[in-house]
Amino acid sequence: MRVVNLACSLPPVPCVTPPAAPSRTLQWDTDPSVLQLQADSELGRRTHRLGPSKITQVDFLPREVVSYCKETQTPLAAHQSEDEEEEEEVTEQKAGPENDLQEEEESKDTKEGHPRELTEEEKQQVLHSEEFLIFFDRSIRVMERALAEDSNIFFDYSGRDLEEKEGDLQGGSSLSLNRLFYDEHWSKHRVITCLDWSPQLYHPLLCSLSLSHLSPVSTLLSSYFQYPELLVASYNNNEDAPHEPDGVALVWNMKFKKTTPEYIYHCQSPVVSVGFARFHPNLLVGGTYSGQIVLWDNRSHRRTPVQRTPLSAAAHTHPVYCVNVVGTQNANNLITVSTDGRMCSWNLDMLSQPQESMELVYNKSKPVAVTGMAFPTGDVNNYIVGSEEGTVYTASRHGSKAGICEMFEGHQGPVTGISCHSAVGPVDFSHLFVTSSFDWTVKLWSTKQNKPLYSFEDNADYVYDVMWSPVHPSLFAAVDGMGRLDLWNLNNDTEVPTASVTIEGAPALNRVRWAAGGKEVAVGDSEGRVWIYDVGELAVPHSEDWAHFGHTLMEIRANHGDGEEEGPVELAT
Amino acid sequence: IMEHLGHEYCLKSHGKCIEGIIGGVDYSQNKVNQWTASIVEHTLTQLVKQGKPFKYIVNCAVMQKSGAGLHTANSCYWDTTTDGSCTVRWENRTMYCVVSVFAVAIAL
Repeated sequence: MRVVNLACSLPPVPCVTPPAAPSRTLQWDTDPSVLQLQADSELGRRTHRLGPSKITQVDFLPREVVSYCKETQTPLAAHQSEDEEEEEEVTEQKAGPENDLQEEEESKDTKEGHPRELTEEEKQQVLHSEEFLIFFDRSIRVMERALAEDSNIFFDYSGRDLEEKEGDLQGGSSLSLNRLFYDEHWSKHRVITCLDWSPQLYHPLLCSLSLSHLSPVSTLLSSYFQYPELLVASYNNNEDAPHEPDGVALVWNMKFKKTTPEYIYHCQSPVVSVGFARFHPNLLVGGTYSGQIVLWDNRSHRRTPVQRTPLSAAAHTHPVYCVNVVGTQNANNLITVSTDGRMCSWNLDMLSQPQESMELVYNKSKPVAVTGMAFPTGDVNNYIVGSEEGTVYTASRHGSKAGICEMFEGHQGPVTGISCHSAVGPVDFSHLFVTSSFDWTVKLWSTKQNKPLYSFEDNADYVYDVMWSPVHPSLFAAVDGMGRLDLWNLNNDTEVPTASVTIEGAPALNRVRWAAGGKEVAVGDSEGRVWIYDVGELAVPHSEDWAHFGHTLMEIRANHGDGEEEGPVELAT
Repeated sequence: IMEHLGHEYCLKSHGKCIEGIIGGVDYSQNKVNQWTASIVEHTLTQLVKQGKPFKYIVNCAVMQKSGAGLHTANSCYWDTTTDGSCTVRWENRTMYCVVSVFAVAIAL
């Protein structure tokens, strides 16, 4: 240790003179304090007041060393990583590695090479930071799906795809159960009131519109499509759980095997109809028992509706069994009809009041109690409604004949479901529709005739719903109260269903909906379960099916009997 | 009398002194002795330059940051009206430095 020689010198300071000054005689007293006093007084110095100073403290706190009582040793040499696994704890590297490889690596590394380990606080900070939470939320969804899959999630579709697919198709023309959607908490003891598949839409924007203007196009995307694997189901109230919300809508995902709903929504009043809002990919529209229309948005984290219509006489005050978004991307409306015959047209951006509303009245007498509504493909003005009395009416939204136009009689009980022909092909059958009713029948109609073309009477219970296949021209599905799901292929046979299956447990089946691709059918029952059935070869249309169906129709008309038909009634389109 | 050992002065001047010597460097065992010596030297020369009638005692401690804790304390019995002390703490990423200066008035 170097001895420091202070080269600098202190400035000259008058020294304290030794007490040998002539002017003073030293009295050698034994008591030093007396000496002090004398000295002081003689020299005229003021008294020193000696006292203790404040204590100066310096503290450098030790760093907290986190210690673990258990250690794990990974077989491979690994740096202490700062990233954390989501569910694991960080394990410390053992001081004495067993592995030769590890020893080599360690010796090569200098201290500066190791990344610094985060302190406990820093780790907590990261765990609670915004970015981590967003990442975590997304990742756990992915993980949940992956965990539920029992197939290989890393499957490579480039090679072996064909072999697998063919195996499935060999299932034949009959129906086979694919999935069951049921949630212990939300589905139990609730009746399924409505189902809707997310529509598959492709919308190439008409670019020619924008080119002629110099201003930028205010409306958006060149194309978007919604996810056809999503299915929404609405549920009635759970009588066993009065504290739970009365109305529930769950969005289920067909694509992954996880058994929990993708989204859960609820509201205060039982939801009796629900649908994905076409043209608004994030919105779900629900019609409730109270007459309120509610809107859910999957962009927000809320499970309750983001928008609601008012409960006033201007809107609906009766259950709304029909909700439908019609129109085009730029000009669309939500049409809703309640059981008191009131039809309202809404703009989805503003649900505080309807854009227009009207009473559906036939022949200026009492309003029609509407139980179902359907728009023919491609039509946004005319639609068909079914009523509680069993009559079916066509109606228009605008024009000189706005309101109810024609009446179609035939059913002897309330109409439960209406479906307009939707398969698009070489021949246009869009004037056809089928209806189902409590009178145990399904009837086929044409809008050009006010009597049914044909009546299907194979059921032995209330038929609760019917729907045309979106791809096959002569195929439709019907469900009844005995748990039967029937597929009728009119090109094949008009007397009996081509394929039929009874749902396990034979619950009453309330709703049937084809998936957008026409390959699967979703059935909702009275126990809160959604059954997804695969329809095999039967559902695949062939190009000759259209022509064949045309023949079938002619046969049907011919066989129906001449006396019963009235002259065709023309309708304004 | 005690102004030049006032708190702000203390911190500023001694702090600058330390900063100048070991400002941007990391702890290094072979250099630390030079550092402590220079800190003490420079602090003392600066104080002496003031030309005040004081005896000075300068103490400097440099400690490597290794997770250990360091705790010191000091106290004096002197004339509280004329004498005083000042302690400056300084640190960087790899070390701590504490410099204490005691000034005892010289009787005139």
